[in-house]
Amino acid sequence: MSENIENTAFVNEEPKNMAAVVEGLLYLLGEDGIKAEQLALAIHKSDKETAEILEEIKKKYDSDEFGIELVNYGGVWKFITKKVVYPFAQELFNNVKPNTLSQSALETLAIIAYKQPVTRVEIEELRGVSAETMLRRLLARNLIKEVGRSEAPGRPILYEVTEEFMDSFKLVDLKELPDLPNYSTDDENTELFK
Amino acid sequence: MGFEVETLKFEGPLDLMLHLIKEQELDIFDLDMEVLTDQYINYIRKMEKLELEIESEYLVELATLVEYKSKKLLPSKVEELEDSYEEDPKERLVKRLLEYQKYKEVTKELYDSYMDRQDQYSKTLSVLEIKEEDLAYSKLEGNPYDLMKAMNRVLRRARLTKPLETKVTKREISTEDRILEIKSKLKKLPKKFSFDTLVEDCHDLSEYVVTFLAILDMAKEHVLVFTVDKDENIWFSRGVKDE
Repeated sequence: MSENIENTAFVNEEPKNMAAVVEGLLYLLGEDGIKAEQLALAIHKSDKETAEILEEIKKKYDSDEFGIELVNYGGVWKFITKKVVYPFAQELFNNVKPNTLSQSALETLAIIAYKQPVTRVEIEELRGVSAETMLRRLLARNLIKEVGRSEAPGRPILYEVTEEFMDSFKLVDLKELPDLPNYSTDDENTELFK
Repeated sequence: MGFEVETLKFEGPLDLMLHLIKEQELDIFDLDMEVLTDQYINYIRKMEKLELEIESEYLVELATLVEYKSKKLLPSKVEELEDSYEEDPKERLVKRLLEYQKYKEVTKELYDSYMDRQDQYSKTLSVLEIKEEDLAYSKLEGNPYDLMKAMNRVLRRARLTKPLETKVTKREISTEDRILEIKSKLKKLPKKFSFDTLVEDCHDLSEYVVTFLAILDMAKEHVLVFTVDKDENIWFSRGVKDE
């Protein structure tokens, strides 16, 4: 079939099943994934329609008939394999070892995620240890980013978590973070925590 | 003495204190500073015996604890006066411990979802490059640091493509003049253009810098809007204040 005919077909006639097209696009995008608004422009649909298509596909793949699932982490939609595949992938591939995060990395990330934008000094005050090396490491792993400078003296750099962070911790929104336990020294109901 | 496996690793002095409080079954809301201080010193001594490196942060907190203890031991008249304007160090410590504990606690949950995610893979992008027009629907925004990073990239590239002239420059141009030059250029440029189009006529470093300053000025005045893409290319479009 000539390229010409294909092109006309695409421009003039909408494919019967747009969900199939989106599925194909998501397959091509792989780990990069795509934001719903970006996808909407590519498939010439409204944001609302696109969101519906995505939800439809997500629902379809949630069924245990399928080995992959559609996820939305930090607004980015992508296909990932289901957990059930993992042990078998281990059999098949050599180097499928997880990237671990140290306790100090987790603590630093938690502080940034809950308090962002946040400066290095604020993190250090909270953890009681120097944060410089850890921040550099997290920046290199693209889990945090610099977002500007605070108005405080010395205009220190402010940090926030990235989309990569949202993906790594399976979050659609930062609001989904677990609630921080509520200890308090100020009020009288401290007995509760004894 | 038997073989003692002291492999407990702490994330810092606060973490160590929380451990000691738990071990000694102290009440964190009514902290027995004396017990805590003694235990803390014990631990530091142990570390010294094992010839483990003690990070300075542990010593800073140790100093605070010891200072508190010694103040309590000394008969003092001034103390009352001091306390009226200084936060009680014990209260401050408790506050810090509680705050730290909050974050320490949620890390367990975070760690679980992180490890969970590690069991799920995705494949790499099939097509090598996403079309440049995609920029059209990415919002036009960026912060000065993106711009700075991109500027560094431009300079690096400039250094590679043409050797910068080493002789003293003859042509010197002020930022104001450069702004006027760019403004007159703007009308001929497409809606969206790259940083490289603006520095095409630059011959040496100072001209790059002046251009960069001019752009910063124009971005501030909203004559230019810029965005920096994934590959650290700077893109511009005419801003809201078209002159």
